[in-house]
Amino acid sequence: MTDIFYTKDHEWIKVNGDEGVVGITSYASEQLGDIVFVELPEKGNSFDQGKDVAVIESVKAASEIYSPASGEIFETNSSLEEKPEIINEDPQERGWLYKITIKNKDELKNLMSEEEYKKLIGV
Amino acid sequence: MSELINENISIEKTSLFDFHNKNNAKIVPFGGYYLPINYSSGIIAEHNHTRSKASIFDVSHMGQIEINGPFVMEALEKILPISFSKLAPGKIKYTQFLNHEGKIIDDLMVHKTRDENSVWLVVNAACKQKDINHLRDNLNKKFNINVRNDLSLIALQGPKSEKILVDLIPKIKGMEFMSSIWFRYKNYEILISRCGYTGEDGFEISIPNKHVVTFTEELLKNNDVKLAGLGARDSLRLEAGLCLYGHDINIEKNPIEAGLKWSICKDRVDKQDFIGGEAIANEYIEGPKKNLLGFLPKGRAPAREGTLIYDASNKLIGEVTSGGFSPSLGVPISMGYITSSFRNEKEVFLNIRGKKIPADIIKLPFVPHNYFKRKK
Repeated sequence: MTDIFYTKDHEWIKVNGDEGVVGITSYASEQLGDIVFVELPEKGNSFDQGKDVAVIESVKAASEIYSPASGEIFETNSSLEEKPEIINEDPQERGWLYKITIKNKDELKNLMSEEEYKKLIGV
Repeated sequence: MSELINENISIEKTSLFDFHNKNNAKIVPFGGYYLPINYSSGIIAEHNHTRSKASIFDVSHMGQIEINGPFVMEALEKILPISFSKLAPGKIKYTQFLNHEGKIIDDLMVHKTRDENSVWLVVNAACKQKDINHLRDNLNKKFNINVRNDLSLIALQGPKSEKILVDLIPKIKGMEFMSSIWFRYKNYEILISRCGYTGEDGFEISIPNKHVVTFTEELLKNNDVKLAGLGARDSLRLEAGLCLYGHDINIEKNPIEAGLKWSICKDRVDKQDFIGGEAIANEYIEGPKKNLLGFLPKGRAPAREGTLIYDASNKLIGEVTSGGFSPSLGVPISMGYITSSFRNEKEVFLNIRGKKIPADIIKLPFVPHNYFKRKK
């Protein structure tokens, strides 16, 4: 069973057991506009919850991505290197950024449910 | 990731504000005005449409200033490094206001009108008040400085611009690039200037505020025209290697190092008879200490404003002043200054988030200009 959680900075994490897939929300993708570059973390590196883990550059500006959970990166979405616009096309599925082994599932309590996130962005 | 619009009462709306909202614009504050950064198709689509067909930009934030009085051109020559006598009536010239140190107060377009007692200026929005103060300080009080807040300004830019505008105003056909003419349209007067800020052919149209929405709607009836915002305007001018005041040029830069020597009249530098003339004379002849150049970083990461530039031995030699992604070339591009002795190097290194990214140096522009040339 997969659970999805959101951050106030518009990242999502889909959690399945101890593994999480991370990306940005459709709302964030629309706000950023045309995405032209993604700097992904290195596999094997570990990040703490809330720490900057990646950078997404739109035509307008660079935006930091903050990890929704602590843990070690075990896969990144290499198709974004050549086609970063996939994030605009499908931010919640094909446009995922990285997969992480979640160190402490208690931290997920700091995140928002889908309902809470929708309230935040006003839909 | 979202930025809220600061509800600051000092930010003004242009006459097209409601029109922009109706057309799903994303509005941001810029230069003291609420303006569209893009519409629903997005910056890249708007950029590409401008290069292939034509787009309308609301540039009503720009200051349109009329100065009237006998011998106004002679008086302005004390302030501007141009020679009005070398310009035909109706011609437009790109120039700069300089201070006594030869540094740039603002860059602007000057129109030599068909009335010898009148000159028309178009200045940057954020510099409007500073420019007016500079004019008041340096012009005799007998000159009337009239800021034309009654006029909006829209830019029609792209290779199809003439074809589109001709349907409304047939007489603009074949108008010379960098020239302007007043036309009567329906029951009002509009000033049409063949110039722009995209590297493409195009027109800037000064039009009474109360008519600008209907005029814009008239233009949009042509299927080749779409709306474009400030985002595309910025990526277009960057590809065209055109300086943006407050970024590539400012009160710390002189026009020689900014690659704007071509815009300065040599006779005037010889005479040193304008404000800043003495200060720039040496660099005009000997060459500048640093140069504004183009950079093509390897890979896909854009090197934005403030990115530091190093040589192969890790010596700091300059800084990026504008940078982003080029939709036309599909790669990142940057403009910036480096110490002149490095200008012929093949490669420099840009520090992007701690990584040294190699970049080729190129002479501007990145994308060749496509200005209108009259067939002889």
